[in-house]
This record gives sequence, C-alpha cells and structure tokens, in this order.
Amino acid sequence: MKRWLWQQRIWIGLLLAWLALALAALGVGDTAYRVDLPHLLAGPDANSWLGYDQLGRPVWERLLLGAQTSLQVALAVVLFSAVLGTTIGLLAGYYGGWLDRVLTGVIDVFLAFPGLLLAIGLAAVLGPGVENVIIALVVVGWVSYARLARAQTLSLRSREHVLAARALGAGTPRILLRHVVPLLLAPLGVEATFGIAGAVISEAGLSFLGLGIQPPQDSWGSMIREGTRYLLVAPHLVIAPGLALMAVVLAANRLGDAWRDYLDIKTRSGP
Amino acid sequence: MNAPFPRRTLLAAGCGLPLLGCSARTPLPQNHFRLGVSGRPRSLDPRRATDALSSRLNRLLYEAPVDFNARFEPVPALMDWQQTAPLRWVFALRKSTRFHDGTPLTAEDVAATYASVLDPATASPHRGGLKHVQRVRALDGQRVQFDLTHVDALFPGRLTIGVLPRRLMKAGHDFNRQPLGSGPCRFVDANEQRTRLQRPDGALLEFIKVKDPLVQVLKLRKGELDWIQGGLSPELVRYCAARPELAVQWHRGTNFAYIGFNFRDSWLSQQPIREAIALGIDRAAIVQALFDNHARLAGALLPPEHWAGLKNWSGYPYDPGRARALLESAIGQGQRLSLSYKTSANPLRLRLAAIYQSMLREIGIDLTIQSYDWGTFYADIKAGRFQLYSLAWVGIKSPDIFQYVFHSQAVPPAGANRGHYANPEVDRLIEAALAAQMFAEQQRLYGQLQRVLAETVAQVPLWYEDQYAVLHRSVSGYTLAADGRYDGVLTMRRVQHG
Repeated sequence: MKRWLWQQRIWIGLLLAWLALALAALGVGDTAYRVDLPHLLAGPDANSWLGYDQLGRPVWERLLLGAQTSLQVALAVVLFSAVLGTTIGLLAGYYGGWLDRVLTGVIDVFLAFPGLLLAIGLAAVLGPGVENVIIALVVVGWVSYARLARAQTLSLRSREHVLAARALGAGTPRILLRHVVPLLLAPLGVEATFGIAGAVISEAGLSFLGLGIQPPQDSWGSMIREGTRYLLVAPHLVIAPGLALMAVVLAANRLGDAWRDYLDIKTRSGP
Repeated sequence: MNAPFPRRTLLAAGCGLPLLGCSARTPLPQNHFRLGVSGRPRSLDPRRATDALSSRLNRLLYEAPVDFNARFEPVPALMDWQQTAPLRWVFALRKSTRFHDGTPLTAEDVAATYASVLDPATASPHRGGLKHVQRVRALDGQRVQFDLTHVDALFPGRLTIGVLPRRLMKAGHDFNRQPLGSGPCRFVDANEQRTRLQRPDGALLEFIKVKDPLVQVLKLRKGELDWIQGGLSPELVRYCAARPELAVQWHRGTNFAYIGFNFRDSWLSQQPIREAIALGIDRAAIVQALFDNHARLAGALLPPEHWAGLKNWSGYPYDPGRARALLESAIGQGQRLSLSYKTSANPLRLRLAAIYQSMLREIGIDLTIQSYDWGTFYADIKAGRFQLYSLAWVGIKSPDIFQYVFHSQAVPPAGANRGHYANPEVDRLIEAALAAQMFAEQQRLYGQLQRVLAETVAQVPLWYEDQYAVLHRSVSGYTLAADGRYDGVLTMRRVQHG
C-alpha cells in the first residue's frame, strides 16, 4: 500500500494542494471583491502574483475562492449521489423481483439521457446558485453508484457469509449494513474518485454557461467564461483557472484509475 | 529512365503545399471590402428601420430630404425647404435624381413615402415623429407641401426618412428584401450572414455578420475583414491600436449614456437619494481607467456642441462625503439602502454595473445587479419594471427628444418616459420650446429646460463614448462620423504595401 501511495504521490499531492487552496480561501477578505480601477487587467505584482482581472480584483484570491467552491460542490455532489445511488442499488440488487425491474428501468432511463445535458436543463429550470448546481449534479450523478451497487449486491447476496447471517436470523438492514456494504466500499470509492472529477468539471461547465455559480461568488468556470472575453489582452485570466481545473480533474481521474488497477487482482499480480 | 519529377522536388512540394495553405490570405480584388458588423440589419425598409445598423445601411441605400450638420442643425440633402405659413412647409427637390432602377425621383415619390409612413397600416415606428402632419401632397414634380396641425419649428429635422419609389410602394414591393432607393449604394444581395452593396465606382461593400468581438479582431488581424466599428471592449481597441497590421481611428462621439430612475419608487422619488447616487459615482475615474479617456463626461442628453446643448455643465462631480450625508439625511444615520440595478448582459455594461456597485457601497447603497438578455431587459425597462437602469441614447439629433423622454404625458407607449418623471415646470418648458418660432428663443428655453432636469436629477448623465473604427492596414480613406454613420465606406480604398 505504501509503495502504491508513493507511486501516486503527484496526483495525491495535486489533490492535497486543491484542499490547501480551498482552506486558504477562508483567509481571503473583501479584497477579492473590491473593484480597483487602476488595476484593471493589470499583470502580476507584489500584491497579486497572478495579476488582476477586468475589475481590478486579484486573480490569486479569486482562484482560492474558486477552489473552495469546486471542493464544496464536489464533496456535496459525491456524498449525496453516493448515498442515494448506493441505497437504491442495494435495495434493487438485494430484493430483486419487481422492485429491481422498476429501479433498473429508472436507472436505464437516466443513463440513456446525456448527463451534462440533463444537468444543464435542471440548472436552467432551478436557476443559478450553488445549491441548485449540487441538486442538478446529484440528480445526474446517483445513477452510476446505483448501477455499481446493484451489480455488486447481486453477486454478494448469495455469498456464504450473507446466507449464514440470514440463517442466524439477522434482519435485512443488519445484513446490508454489516455484510454487504463493507464489501461495496472499495469499488464505490473508485467510483467516487471519478465522481469528484466529474462534479468539478460539471460545476465549471455549468458556471461557464452562466447556469452555475453567480457573482460575486467565484468559480473556476465563471472565471474562465469572463476571461475568454479578454483572451487577447489578458490571457492569465483564463490560463490560471484553466490550469487549476485541469490539474484537479487529471489528478482525480488518474488516482481513480490507479486505485481501480490496484483493486484488480489480475492487474496487480501481472502476467 | 528518368522520373518526370525528381524525388527531392516531390518532397519539397509535399512539405511546402501545406505551408502554402497556411500562408496569408489570398489578396482580394481592389474593389471588394469586407466590413465586420455584429448583427444583421433588422430592416432595409427605411420606414420601418429603428436599429443603428439598419439606419446606417439605409443612409447608403436611400436619400432623405434632410440631413444634419455638425451642430445638429437640419441642412438640405435631397430637398430645400421654406415655411410658407405657420402651419405649412414646402420642400423642393434640389437636383434631378434617379432611383437605382433608372426611374426619376419626383416630388410624388417624396409625398408617397411620407404618406405611407403616416398610414397606420404601414405600422411605421417613425409615425409618432410626424404626428403633427395633417396632410402631405405633391404640388408638382419638384415640390411637396406639408400641412401641420400644430406649429413645429423643428419640422424639417423630421424628414430624415429615405425616399422610396411610389410605383413600387403601390405594387406592395418588399423593400426589406429588395431595397431600391436613390442613395449612393445599390443593393446587391443579403442573407443571414452578410449584406452586399455596390458603390457608385463599382466597388463591392460586403457587411459580414461576426457576433463575437474577439473573433472580429482575429478576423481583422488575419485579413478576413477590412474594417469594424464599435462594439469592442476598450482593452481590445487598445490591443488593436498596438498591432502593426491594424489602425484605429477615433472621433468624438455623441451617444449619451445615463442611469435612469423609477420615480414611482418610494426611495428614488426623493431628490436627495438621486443626488447621492449622482455624487457617489466617480465618472472621471471610470472614463480614465476603462475608456482610456476616450469618452467625455456628460451633463445633459444633448452634447454641448449641439445648437440646443447645455454648455459649461458636465454633470455632478464625485463627492462621496456629500453623497453619504445626503443619503443619511433621507434614510437615517448609519442606515444602508438596498436598490436593484438592471442592465443588459453585455460584458462592458456588466463591468460598469460592478463598478457602480462598488462605488455606491462606499456611500451606503447596496446595489443588486440584475442582468438580462437584451430583449428581456428592454421589455422590463419599457414596462417600468426597475429601480435603476442604464442605457444610452444613440444618434439623437433633434431637441424634441426632451418631449419624448421627460414630458409627463410621454409614459410608454406614448413616449419614452420610462421612469414616470413628472414635473410641471419641465412640461411647460418643453411645450414652450416646441411652440417657439425664433431660433434664439428655442435655444434659451432648451437651455433652461436642461438646467431644471439637472437640478432635479431627472437622470444621472454619464458620458458620451467616443466613436472608433479599426481598419486593416490594407485599406485607407475611411472617415469616422460623430454619430457613427457608415458614410466613410464610400471613400474607402485599398492600398498596396510593399
């Protein structure tokens, strides 16, 4: 495990840096929102090493606030999606029968619809704002957890330890929580890692389209959107949040890939 | 046996051909100009055109009886005029003119054009400006007589709509699709993406729709466009000015930007609060930082060089201390006032809104910015659904705009008094100025009127933004106008650089 962690140090480091940026945003004051006319689109200086935006606000401080927003959204979306999706998948897989058929049908309907398009539609209906972005992304995001949990539960429910627990008179909640869910955690963890990357990029996408986070709150997506208008004169407005976004999504995806490979016995043992 | 092409030649050709594909644009013919505009003209029928682009293109396609000089005084264009009685004006053609189909333009055409504008069936938005016309008729082939219901000293300035051929109007011709006038340019064709006109010298003027300002600049740099005018952010203009392949032309502008109030609002009906807002916005700093000093501070709707303009007044100075004191006198010591401000989704307007928000926060006003697409925003403003908003008056020539904007009877749809401003003194001055016969008397009354409007803070005048055009170095001869008209394209020519 230690060796594996050491191999993933770059991706883990990037995600820890994201966390550090989000925590550092707690120390950002009003200066991030203060319009400063002499510094409109100004380059870096001692007070702001990433320069200033179109209203003279320091890009670095806005980047920190954007990191905080993306972390909040990603954690909330992954948590709620995982709880909701896993519960539905568990019930469908464990009970089977008509409940499974109905829930599988619902999952298939959601899977058939393009996720981001559904999120855009929901965000447009619900209106912009952090809470509505989270709701829109949870509505889209629970499906993958449900599908995974159902598939795993289907194979686990006839395992000996589950049959033994049932024979000993254990209730269904106890069986699910004590004997099934612990065995789902590893694959669900991998899914959650991909979910973080998906939530970050989706939040940025919605904010880029003007359906996500609204000013004065900051988001990397809305920073990129505003920056594209000044791409020729102040490319730093796009480059800074663009690189941050790329780094977080890349790190989360690579870590998810590596974790999945680690859990795969065939891949780990080699030929 | 020798190969027809040596291998090295083939290799060189293989490497070179793709590069040729990336080389500079293919030079256009000398007499073809590609002009970038942000949209397509809404109507090429001058009776129905209201947007700036349509009006500017229609000036090239049609001739109007009257034009304006630099002081915004009406001057003869197609026709001379004479007031033969207090309620009667006679206009006479100055020269023999022909429509683009070769038929002569006569007084019958002028009379038919204006009769058509007055006809409710035409649904012309310009009908209101001619509401005092009781009758229009051609006296002979050269002269047209207008009989009015009210005395109107500003009447010649209302005849700025291009003349259409009577024969085609009678036949129900669609001038929007197939414009036909007597202006300097002949219509060639149009679609969603472009409108093509032909100059008298045969040169082709292709107005190409390029919505995004950034793309406009990139196309200009690449040589896919020769010219763009307005619509860029100040930073993009600065960027263009620094490019060796581009040249920027500036001209003092007359488009008036302002902040409007809703006078039915319990807070904004109080003059100290309106005055506090006017004093709390540092317009000079905004003009310097955002516009690079390419704007003039405005004190009134008409620019000072206008014959009826207010001289020596450029609006309220920035005085946050006094603004805060005035606000506290109205809402109480230590209190803050929350107001909403509506604006369009234009990035520059949004930026300005954020700047006002920041400045007004300092004096105790918390501004909530509400930005909408243009259609929703403009509909809200016309319906009076706002507290504060910002807009600009474009291309204003005649001082009867005051009646349209500030008279208490001019609430939409009758006029553009969107904030329900009502001041008996202003109504009286507007009516007196409209009825005045002598030029000096009109000038005096309009001056007095604008002072009252300034004293009562009927709006916050912001600035007149300069006009600018960006040209590719391969063209020259363009001359900018204060109102942004496109007449300069008539003298544009292509230059060869060694």
